[in-house]
Amino acid sequence: MLYPLLQASSWAMFVGRFHPALVHFPIGFLLIAALLEIGRRTGKVAVSESAIRFILFFSAIGATLACVAGYLLSLGGGYDEQLLDNHMWQGIGVAVFAWIAWLIKSDRLKSKVPYGSLIYLPAFLLATILTLTAGHDGGSLTHGQGYLTQYTPEPFRGLAGIPPLEEKGMEIKPLSDVQQAVVYNEIVQPILQARCAQCHNASKQKGDLRVDQLALLLKGGEGGPAFIPGKGSESDMIKRCLLDENDDDHMPPKGKPQLTTDQIELISWWIDQGAPADKKVAELKMTEAIKPALASLGQGAVLGKTKKQESAVLSLKVPAASEQALENLRKAGLIVNTLSQDQNLIEVSAVNAPNFDDKQMELLKPVAEQIAWLKLGDTKITDAALEQISKFPNLNKLHLEHTVISDKGINGLKGLKYLEYLNVVDTKVGDAGLKNVAGMKGLRSVYVWQSAVTDSAVSQVSKQNPDLLVVNGFNEAAVAEFLRAGDTTSTKAEAKKL
Amino acid sequence: MKEKNMEKLLKELQHADLHRQTRRHFLQSAGFGLGALGLGSLLGSCSSSSTETAGATGIANARIPQFLPKAKRVIYIHMAGAPSQLELFDYKPQLQKYHGQDCPAEFLEGKKFAFIQGVPKMLGAQSNFAQYGQSGAWMSDYVPYLQTVADEITFLKAMHTDQFNHAPAQLLMHTGSARLGRPSLGAWSVYGLGSENQNLPGFIVLASGGQQPDAGKSVYGSGFLPSVYQGVQCRTGGDPVLYVSDPSGMNRDMRKQTIEAINEINRQTYEEVQDPEILTRISQYEMAFRMQMSVPEVMDVSKEPQFILDMYGVKPGEGTFAMNCLLARKLVENDVRFVQLFDWGWDGHGTSKDHNVEGGLRQKCRESDQPIAALIKDLKMRGLLEETLIIWGAEFGRTPMQENRNGLVMPFMGRDHHLDAFTMWMAGGGVKQGFSHGETDELGYYGVKNRVHVHDLQATILHLMGFNHEKFTYPFQGRNFRLTDTEGKVVKEIVA
Repeated sequence: MLYPLLQASSWAMFVGRFHPALVHFPIGFLLIAALLEIGRRTGKVAVSESAIRFILFFSAIGATLACVAGYLLSLGGGYDEQLLDNHMWQGIGVAVFAWIAWLIKSDRLKSKVPYGSLIYLPAFLLATILTLTAGHDGGSLTHGQGYLTQYTPEPFRGLAGIPPLEEKGMEIKPLSDVQQAVVYNEIVQPILQARCAQCHNASKQKGDLRVDQLALLLKGGEGGPAFIPGKGSESDMIKRCLLDENDDDHMPPKGKPQLTTDQIELISWWIDQGAPADKKVAELKMTEAIKPALASLGQGAVLGKTKKQESAVLSLKVPAASEQALENLRKAGLIVNTLSQDQNLIEVSAVNAPNFDDKQMELLKPVAEQIAWLKLGDTKITDAALEQISKFPNLNKLHLEHTVISDKGINGLKGLKYLEYLNVVDTKVGDAGLKNVAGMKGLRSVYVWQSAVTDSAVSQVSKQNPDLLVVNGFNEAAVAEFLRAGDTTSTKAEAKKL
Repeated sequence: MKEKNMEKLLKELQHADLHRQTRRHFLQSAGFGLGALGLGSLLGSCSSSSTETAGATGIANARIPQFLPKAKRVIYIHMAGAPSQLELFDYKPQLQKYHGQDCPAEFLEGKKFAFIQGVPKMLGAQSNFAQYGQSGAWMSDYVPYLQTVADEITFLKAMHTDQFNHAPAQLLMHTGSARLGRPSLGAWSVYGLGSENQNLPGFIVLASGGQQPDAGKSVYGSGFLPSVYQGVQCRTGGDPVLYVSDPSGMNRDMRKQTIEAINEINRQTYEEVQDPEILTRISQYEMAFRMQMSVPEVMDVSKEPQFILDMYGVKPGEGTFAMNCLLARKLVENDVRFVQLFDWGWDGHGTSKDHNVEGGLRQKCRESDQPIAALIKDLKMRGLLEETLIIWGAEFGRTPMQENRNGLVMPFMGRDHHLDAFTMWMAGGGVKQGFSHGETDELGYYGVKNRVHVHDLQATILHLMGFNHEKFTYPFQGRNFRLTDTEGKVVKEIVA
């Protein structure tokens, strides 16, 4: 009579969810009682029997409550039947034996139990052992079997007979050739394994769903099939991933690692194509929208140009600069900041030190290795300073605008393999200097406005180095052209052409 | 006799006073007293940490970013009042077809609008659209200059917010909360990355359009952060900062001595009471002294070459939005961390000649389009654009329906406030070039793909400045506060 009532009510689930919290009480209490009992018998601690009895009483209460809550939780379904059965009976065993042990210790009732003193220790021992085994099975139910020992290191691994650590883990390996990858096996399934399989696997099937086999995905769970072949955006699993994270139906549940937008796009794309089991990327229809997501899986070369990598220098590990050296820089009026928390590279700016000159370059010597961003614009430095700068091996951005430096100086920068940004606006740098640095492999942008660089050199260098951005600025003529471009009457004509 | 009367009068006063003292008064004052005692000890115990943040030189000290900052500086252009995305960037040919028809019921069900009542009519775009740049960005003929820099811009076309009135929506946009009391984005930025130029405030505000934003100074306030982080508003005409220049008869040496004396007293008071706000006060006095020289210099555009002035379309001495754009460039060139521009007058309800989505909006665009495009180009040629993040937007968008305030037909074409879909754009500092993120439905009513909430935008801006918005916090009243409160997701798709 009670059963359908419970199953129907949210009260059952409410109480049930407390099971994982409640179970810790009997576990803790019983172990404490056991330790005290051992201590008492070996004479290591002075503790009265009543104290142990008191703890036993609460162990039994806790175990009983945990049993009730556990049963209610199990009504929600989705667990491995066999494992759940074991867990349940072990849990009930804990409660029963805890009650027996308490009963025998109890002042009022112990006389009524025959052979009380003989049963006491075995009952206590059983309750304690069952706590451990029930606890372990409970863990397996929640986290999946093998969770505890998944990362056992060698040599214990071999000794315990656990198969070698599988590489599938939580992270997805990059593919060597995306075009030749089998979509389901090498793209979809690894994502599902990493993000969904924890709760939808052979031993634990929340919502009756398993994601480890294609047929089982199609069979789906309580809410019907996980996806409809050919209709990605109408498929349950895609919809759930796209729901707001706070929505109850969102998957994976809030707080668990989420799928990235790319990953959702990939699975949706695969479903759109009919969810084939053995087709390769190259055999499916490529869409513009999916290209970046596919590119994110591999080294990217296959799909043409991908976005530029993060500067290599920024992942460089250099030792921290000495505090004294940094302090000296600050005393000279320079701003010194660490670039980010995970490395020791620094940026140095002379914005508050307009009189900074070649002599003071000495101050930078002790931090030569750490300097990644250097801003010496609007200072009194000359080409001599650049000789020093050329010895900063990890320099990444260099501001030299509004100084008197010239070609002679910047030629020395050629050896800086991490240099990406060079600003020589309003300097004496000319065409020769630009051509000289343009060949630098890492360089991405050079700003040459109001220097001696000519427009023809800019266009020539740009043509030769398509990946290098060389920016010259406006002069009167260019401004006039800009003003014409924005003139509404001419734009209308242009718009029509498009 | 007289004396006696006086005495009597005083007694009576005392008596009356006691009469009015009720049990409630007593408890109140006692409560305040005790509470203040408790608060004092509480603040005392944590003052050591707050002094560190507000120390006289503290503002220059940056917290180390959690990851590499892509945007070192920000220019945030806020079009107060909210321009219509449907006339500028969100091209909806279908809306044109439904122009003049009744709005479908499902758009209105359960929705609240600031002014729309009953069943409004759909309103097609009043402008002409075309695609520009290699990226093929849709833009209208209201913004002919911006078209020339289409390939520098990332559009966010499915922005949405929670507030449909100007002041709360502006607060939400700038402080992460629709209620007063939170620090603004600029304040957080300077708190995080520090201020570089010691002669200028790290956070400067320039307003144009004749009025302040509806939410007032709170949109650039420092909230519970030490007040040294609040935005400093500079005027664009006359004295840039009121009262910063010396009165006649006072020379700079005398000013210096005065400030030194005041600061000495302040320092003594600080040692006595340990209130970190006193340190703020000291550093502000020192800053003000330096600003007497630096601000007039940086705000003076007379040394700019004529073709630069032409490019922005400014005439010296004018306090226009165009002037503010030029000043913004000068400020970031001088390493000011955060420059906030407000331009008032974009509220196109259709109620008057100036406030509508036809001539009125076109005029506002005419005043702002050229300087914004010029700003992007100017920053680029100085090598500053890749380190400076430009953000353009308003507090919300406008409805695809025509406004029908009080059931009347408006004298001009206008749209009501709309929170479910609007467009913002960013350029420079770490965002993609020539990119569009998010889509609205075919009538431009609701975002259907890649919606971005205000908190998501804020999370993204902080991300670009090197901060994890979930870990970038400030302790206040017993808990850690952050700009995005408990929301926000970085829009990784737009990060270059």
